[in-house]
Amino acid sequence: MTTATIAPRRRASRLRLFGASVATIMVKELRSRFRGRRAFVVITAYVAVLALIAYGAYVGVAPTAQLQNPFPDELGGVSLAGANPSATIGQAIFTLLSVVQLLLVCFIAPAFTAGAISLEREKQTLDLLVTTPMRPGGIVIGKLFSSLAFVVLLILAGIPVSALVLMYGGASLADILQQQVVLFVSAIGFGVIGLFFSALVKRTQTATVLTYSTMLFLVLGSFLVFRFWTQAATAAPDNTFGTVRTAPEALLYLNPAVAMIEIVASTEIQPGDYSEIMSQIRGVCTGDLCFPTDGGGGGVAPPGLKEVAPAEDTGIFLGVVAGDCPPNARCAFPGPQPAVFEPQPAANHFWPRYAATFGVVSLLLTLASMSLVVPARGRFRLPPIRRAGPGASTGTEADR
Amino acid sequence: MTQDATAPVIETRGLVKRYDGELAVAGIDLVVGAGEIYGLVGPNGAGKTTTMRILATLLAPTAGEATVCGIDVTADPTEVRRRIGYMPDFYGVYDDLRVWEYLDFFARCYSVPAARRAGMIGELLEIVGLADKREAYVEALSRGMRQRLCLAHTLVHDPQLLILDEPASGLDPRARVETREILRELRGMGKTILVSSHILPELAELCTSVGIIDHGRLLRSGRIEEIERSLRATALLRIDVVSDPAAAIDWLGTDERVGDVLEISSERGVARLEVHFDGTPDEEAALLHGMIEAGHRVSSFTQATSDLEEIFLKVTGHDEETAA
Repeated sequence: MTTATIAPRRRASRLRLFGASVATIMVKELRSRFRGRRAFVVITAYVAVLALIAYGAYVGVAPTAQLQNPFPDELGGVSLAGANPSATIGQAIFTLLSVVQLLLVCFIAPAFTAGAISLEREKQTLDLLVTTPMRPGGIVIGKLFSSLAFVVLLILAGIPVSALVLMYGGASLADILQQQVVLFVSAIGFGVIGLFFSALVKRTQTATVLTYSTMLFLVLGSFLVFRFWTQAATAAPDNTFGTVRTAPEALLYLNPAVAMIEIVASTEIQPGDYSEIMSQIRGVCTGDLCFPTDGGGGGVAPPGLKEVAPAEDTGIFLGVVAGDCPPNARCAFPGPQPAVFEPQPAANHFWPRYAATFGVVSLLLTLASMSLVVPARGRFRLPPIRRAGPGASTGTEADR
Repeated sequence: MTQDATAPVIETRGLVKRYDGELAVAGIDLVVGAGEIYGLVGPNGAGKTTTMRILATLLAPTAGEATVCGIDVTADPTEVRRRIGYMPDFYGVYDDLRVWEYLDFFARCYSVPAARRAGMIGELLEIVGLADKREAYVEALSRGMRQRLCLAHTLVHDPQLLILDEPASGLDPRARVETREILRELRGMGKTILVSSHILPELAELCTSVGIIDHGRLLRSGRIEEIERSLRATALLRIDVVSDPAAAIDWLGTDERVGDVLEISSERGVARLEVHFDGTPDEEAALLHGMIEAGHRVSSFTQATSDLEEIFLKVTGHDEETAA
């Protein structure tokens, strides 16, 4: 009876305590993380690298873009022969920046979180923390937020560089927003994976190795599994007609590279459809039977994808020439397609599936990490069943 | 949760902790009253740290129960944590914080209101003698200073009970004395302190009560004087004789209150005998008188002072004898 009336107030105070715990940990972590010149230097270097890459893309692409298409089409800035040179430059910058930022985020985010809990254990400060009335969940969330704060700051600092693209064209504001979503989701996701391993295992070294292995598996391994699965299924003896048997697409739902490639490959001037890009990734596209895009992809293949789309003589990644309407693609008319497709609705995009799946996985891993830090409970053990009353002890000790 | 002054601050009943089948704590019944400084003494691996970690809500007992200020440590750990300050035997500090930031952080952990934090940090630094190190980085502190800083952190929320696991281990003698002085000051502030050590002299003059723990069992527990008295029953006498020691030993053997007699040394004609004697001081005087009357030349007749160390050896040794 009494417990029922106390419960809501108790829950409210627990929630307040949870919030206070998050804030306390964040104040402490941010104090030591942003002290001195280190953070300033890292952010400056990060932005400088991005700016340099953008400039490099410009220098590398501008002459060819001009040569390929000296007379831009007045009508839409896009011609059948190729894109407006300015858009081609923009496209190149966008592609490079997207890939580089994703790469950096994939490596930086876990670096901050993989030691978050295990370092406290190693430095023997965790006991001092968990004997305070702070909620263990609050400690974990505080650690996560403060670790991610820096990565988020890096991503935000990169936005102005990405916004250069808007000056050139080739990718729209929506494309940049999508790029940012994938970057944020990847940062949070890999951050949480690091945090989880940090809470699970004792040593930071082990946690770091596990985290980066998982990251590499998600980025490269899942893709290779997808390809091998598809090829093995297609080559199966019972497949008499040789139809392509695709592996379950869900295998790629945690792959940030595929999500980013999809965004890069379906921008303003190369509005690829999700299914086309997927068929490219599946390896269905062969020869000129592929979805059409024009030139200007920047010529940089994200890691692991080189073998998918072997750079042809043009050195352009993902899609080469105009061709027949690919299977599953919406084509306005049969036969060879021009290089321009109608923009596709977002529902047929891959990146939202990636974002949603990784979001859910992050949430589950965060909850798991929170329960791993609770003291007075063995690791790998389920929470004990709540006892009937405060006085009921497990008095099983035999008489001596 | 009202607490009357006479109720024990710590109470454990049949506390058992098993690690993978190994008994670390084998049924401890511990009672520590308010305002006491209770010394938990025992060799390494005796179960002191495990007992303290259970009380600090870091470990769940396998069986039995433990209460702090009347609150069960497993049923409501958060409430227990608000009432205790815990200093583990091994701990780290956050190197990259300043001393005041370190204390400020823990004060926030205990939800100490911002208005009280600043003043309190100053007071605590004063108590532990680190007032001039307020702006220094924790990294730059010596080991003894870190120990004192850690001690200060246990006080940020003004807890009723301090649980200090080996607070003076690894310190040089000077730092030990300083730690002891701080504990004495805290006792003056009315805190109940549970302190452990494997080095006895450290605790002897500080504690009001001691518990002697070995192999996971509490062998003796109580006020220091009580324990001493209970062991005084078989006092150890040190008698130096300059006459024939064998004759003296024979003579002592005729007294029924005399237990074992050992000749522990014999130098330059002085033989030192250790005599277990079960009698009052009056009877000790009679024994000396008898010896002299019997013609034994006694140059020294003293009662071996039973400090904590000897009590400890006696108690643990006795336990091993009965176990064998």
